[in-house]
Amino acid sequence: MNPVECAFESEVLAAVLQSRWPERVDSKLRAHAASCSICSEVVAVAGAFDGSIEALRASAEVPDASRIWWQSQLRARREAVQAAGRPITTVQVIAFACAVGLLGACFGATSTWFQSALERIASNTAGFDFAAFLTAAGTLFAEHGALVLGLVAIVFVVPTAVYLTLARD
Amino acid sequence: MTKRAPMFRDTTFNELSRTSTLADVATEFVMDEDAFRGFYDRNARGLWAYLARVTGSREHADDLLQETFYRFLRADATHESETHRRNSLYRIATNLAHDARRQSAVRAPVISAGEEIENISSGDQAGATERSADVTWALKTLKPRERAMLWLAYAEGASHDEIAGMLGIRVASLKPMLFRARQKMAALLGRKPDGGKL
Repeated sequence: MNPVECAFESEVLAAVLQSRWPERVDSKLRAHAASCSICSEVVAVAGAFDGSIEALRASAEVPDASRIWWQSQLRARREAVQAAGRPITTVQVIAFACAVGLLGACFGATSTWFQSALERIASNTAGFDFAAFLTAAGTLFAEHGALVLGLVAIVFVVPTAVYLTLARD
Repeated sequence: MTKRAPMFRDTTFNELSRTSTLADVATEFVMDEDAFRGFYDRNARGLWAYLARVTGSREHADDLLQETFYRFLRADATHESETHRRNSLYRIATNLAHDARRQSAVRAPVISAGEEIENISSGDQAGATERSADVTWALKTLKPRERAMLWLAYAEGASHDEIAGMLGIRVASLKPMLFRARQKMAALLGRKPDGGKL
């Protein structure tokens, strides 16, 4: 099996990286590298990189350290705020869903008018009468005005509040 | 050339002004600003060159550089030495480059190795550009991991232990991989008119 390492490899590499190769190295090391396939490859590859690395580094337009530091601080804060706000948002959405469900269940269970209206709607779906619907809506509002307003507020205000919270985050 | 959206989201000035009011949220990093500044100044250009070589794109290197330093700070890890700290930084960069390559492979092949690296705009232009183009040409045919290990070993001068740590592989596995990658690279450079000569 062919060796994958040479004992002089690191010495040759150091000479190339320190720009001592080939003039300022021992002649024995040069002779070894000329006869060793591993060391000659190291010279070829490291020499090629050495020719481009300085130019590449010099051409890099890296941001100032202070800017990176400042942005990292702010981004960390923002992520901390988002992480802290996430459970609150989740609780809000769940609470909203529970509130609507509970309200609907109470209303449906306690209001005989609502149940009879449902039955009427079910029996009259084929022939929908807009005038009768308006009359029924008016009756509903007259008898349960506060409840209807509360329901409307929950249906529209809470989702809007949740949306605005999420949008701001 | 069309303007490409940054791979990682940058902080806008509106966000800066808004989040700067959230002073009550703790954001202490293990490293203080002065220490970070010194560490950044010592490593940023070298890391950028590494990322440019591994991703094959200056723009991706710009994006990944900032993201790497951010994640390094956020990691809040304590390091035994400067070398250990630097190895962690390069490991983060390597992982980010790997993730970016996978993402771009899913979206579109935006990372094509080495297309833009030779756009060197300073220094001794003609020679530097030509040398860089030769290296770019050769690296283009290698796998990303081969590019990374060759650059770390023969441009950065990292030891086998360090490279293994940065790339997340075992030292015993690294040696034959590095050997094969170096053979390929040397052969490719030998085909170029001014490839590495003894």
